[in-house]
Amino acid sequence: MIRLSDAPPIGRVVATEALPASPHQFHFWTATETPVGIGTIVRVDAARGRTAYAVVVDGRAYSDLAAPLHDVVAAEGNPAASSGVTRRTEVRLWTAAVLRQIPEEPVQPVPLADVHLAIEPDVEIALRMDSYARADPPTAIPIGVYRTGGLHAPVSLDAHFLLGPESAHLNISGVSGLATKTSAVLFFLRSIFQKFPREKGSVAALCFNVKGPDLCFLDQPAELNETDRETYRALGVEPEAFFNAAYYAPFKPDGVNLNTLRSHADLVGSVQPLVWGLREVLDYHEVLLNRDDIDAKADAFLDFLADRVVEKEFRDEWGSTHRVRSFAELERLFRAIFDGLESAGRGDIWRTHHIATIRKVRNRLLNISTRCKGLVTDDGSVSDLPFGAFEDRSVHVIDVAGMDQLGQDLVFTRVVSKLREHLERRDLGVDHVVVFVDELNKYAPGDGPDTYVRKMLLDISERGRYLGLVLFAAQQFRSQVHRRVVGNAGTTVFGRMDMDELATPGYQVLSPATRMKLATLPKGELMVRHPHFTQPVFVRFPHPPVLTGPEGLDRFPPAADVSFEDAVVRQLVALDRRVAAATIKNLIVGRQENDIRRALLATKRVRPDDATAYFAASLGPAVRSQRVDEPAATATPQLRSLEDPYAP
Amino acid sequence: MGVGKVRAHAAPLLQSPFAAAEPVEGDHIRAIEVGEPTDPPSRVAFLDGIQRYAVEGYLGIVPVVRGYVAAAVVRREQSVLRAVLQRVEEFLTVPLEHIAEQDRSMLEQVPLPLYDCSEGDRPHPILDVQLAALAVERRREELERRLAVQYLETAPEEWLVADGSVADLMGPAVTRPRLVGLVKSHDTQFLEGRELEVALTLPSGHRSSVFARHVGKQRAVYTWYLRLWPWEEHDLLYGLVRVERAPVEQTVAEASAVSRWILAERAPLSAPDERWDRLIYPIRQVEAYLRSHIGGWW
Repeated sequence: MIRLSDAPPIGRVVATEALPASPHQFHFWTATETPVGIGTIVRVDAARGRTAYAVVVDGRAYSDLAAPLHDVVAAEGNPAASSGVTRRTEVRLWTAAVLRQIPEEPVQPVPLADVHLAIEPDVEIALRMDSYARADPPTAIPIGVYRTGGLHAPVSLDAHFLLGPESAHLNISGVSGLATKTSAVLFFLRSIFQKFPREKGSVAALCFNVKGPDLCFLDQPAELNETDRETYRALGVEPEAFFNAAYYAPFKPDGVNLNTLRSHADLVGSVQPLVWGLREVLDYHEVLLNRDDIDAKADAFLDFLADRVVEKEFRDEWGSTHRVRSFAELERLFRAIFDGLESAGRGDIWRTHHIATIRKVRNRLLNISTRCKGLVTDDGSVSDLPFGAFEDRSVHVIDVAGMDQLGQDLVFTRVVSKLREHLERRDLGVDHVVVFVDELNKYAPGDGPDTYVRKMLLDISERGRYLGLVLFAAQQFRSQVHRRVVGNAGTTVFGRMDMDELATPGYQVLSPATRMKLATLPKGELMVRHPHFTQPVFVRFPHPPVLTGPEGLDRFPPAADVSFEDAVVRQLVALDRRVAAATIKNLIVGRQENDIRRALLATKRVRPDDATAYFAASLGPAVRSQRVDEPAATATPQLRSLEDPYAP
Repeated sequence: MGVGKVRAHAAPLLQSPFAAAEPVEGDHIRAIEVGEPTDPPSRVAFLDGIQRYAVEGYLGIVPVVRGYVAAAVVRREQSVLRAVLQRVEEFLTVPLEHIAEQDRSMLEQVPLPLYDCSEGDRPHPILDVQLAALAVERRREELERRLAVQYLETAPEEWLVADGSVADLMGPAVTRPRLVGLVKSHDTQFLEGRELEVALTLPSGHRSSVFARHVGKQRAVYTWYLRLWPWEEHDLLYGLVRVERAPVEQTVAEASAVSRWILAERAPLSAPDERWDRLIYPIRQVEAYLRSHIGGWW
């Protein structure tokens, strides 16, 4: 049996004055029947110990036909005529871009020698993977296999350049549906979780599910075919689902049905509601409030509220003490201010803030809980991510697919800000967090207004690697994303690309043949650029070991929205199978919906053994309504309106 | 300006413009339409050779010429040409009679064969180079002959198409029925009068009737003209080749069939070679193959 390393050469380097060999590029010819194609890695062995590794970036074929007219003459003008009894001599001439030369110094033109197909050790050397795949501990993160001529060679990235601190971030581009961006990122995460050395720290992932059911079933294993299993074996990665996965979704506006497609009865119990109150929102008011509305004066008043009022004991000038923890309590404070000013007749200023400014801020703030209903509550109840208790190799999926743009912006900004804060303080629970954001075109566009979200993404891109905050971002059109966001990605991945996108200036460094290959790339194949790779390389990755969105929906169809009472029962049953519907309905009958929501949230947050008992305790005793006697006729008449005491 | 090339100088006179021949297919030469081209035999090979020479220096006024000759047989298998035999010779040729004994001894020390090209008593720096060139040509012809014999002995069932005359490969006792010579030059005319006119004005796709041309007193080959391309508005000899085969009855019987598959060899065209109207593509490829190995002899 012929070993690949003993295989005869498949080509020979040729150099002419017009097509010389250089230190970065050379040309070689092969037989017409050859396994060589665009992206093939080859090795050139010279007699005097110099070896060059290169990737094929262009190919040409031509015969000795000097002019098309000669073919016309030979066929006597008839295209159907035989092309001749002898096949013209043809050449397959390939252009290869040098990946590496050994020795690396002095830098010299590639020797004019035989060309061999690269074998597995060659691929490792050519891509400089030997420096990290053979380190102690190895920091190689497998991302796919390089395939040519029956060879399946693993291709790995350097964790130091993927998760920091040397470089970080990964950006993936490609057309929707064909580029398999989400699948690729899920496989990369699976690989990171298994291969990132524990000595180098802990790592978790936080994924924003921005469309449909894409990331809703990461804990559900998928059926893999034999080809995929073989690829997993070649890469040394176990095809396991993300069993340590946590899901978060806001409520729908009804405040009780979760706004997610992961609502099947078997799965909804593992979805934590994402509910925020005043404190969680106020710090990020810039995201929610329109710059045109909020001027410097309003800003100052907001800062006053945040610093002096919210979650603090605040005594007003009229003898009342306020402790504002919710939008409802904030509204009571505003009412007290307006009433106090009215009753005192002190004019338009309260603590240097004009009443018009106060009214404007009040209107905008209180409107937030209406605009983000389901995510932001009036009553101060909170259900948040476990900041400070992130576990190693855990995945947290926040489903914002059903939210409007404003809510998505708020979730994104606050969550990323909190991650950064905790990472800066080193108390998140893990050392590295990979944040996966799809549709980067939308969140960090190259043009348009400078939004808070875009500033946040820029900040992660530029400073995140020092903190362990790593951005894995995907988009359809890389050219439309802010240059600094994509430019700071140490690793860039491309799936099937749109021809128009490939015509933009950012892709002109690629050869026309490479661009053509990108435009026709099959599903599951990617082009990867990484700091260790001198040239982009093509790899094939396996189907991720989890259900895709459509597969998950087939197996776990979303449950239909139900009435308030039934939704409460359903969520409690998902926590504890022993919960009896009748018991719960009896408990909540006649109760305020806000109280029920608060109790439900508390139960879901704690996940007690006896959900019914905990829920009942959280609800507290029912307060029976009592009839209050009519006031005496001699009493002072009540004002009809606090707003306008002179109203009829 | 007419149909010929515009020239400035007289071409050198032909050495042997005429030779004798006699019809063997009928009693006079006539034009015969061969019919539509047909596929050549599945097993066919092609033979050609190249030569180069250069004056390396002078011993006194006597030129020392270095010669390079090469020949190859290329077989066609499923439309693809592959070289199966190749020979190369490099040598010195000098008019030995015009140099001193010690110079000859010195030349014999050079690790190359040494051939004599003496002719005449007096050295002449131009004539001696021409004679050396003729010697190189004879070495090339000899190399081709040896290669043809070797190939036909190892593959007697296969056809071999050689560039040029194959007369030297035939003899009274030696017939090589599957050897075909394709002669592109028409320096020597074997016919005369009306028969010559018929032969040289053949329409495209026509051949002349077969005739025998004598090679010395003992030997002969059978031959016929074949027009590959229409010559109207071109030179009279445009697209005209002369086919040589063994002097046997089979040659006459197969003349049209062989002509038909030679017509099929017009495609692919051997352009941009300026002889493309008479040079079939496989022969040109043998030349190209030999030239690719020529090294510093470009």
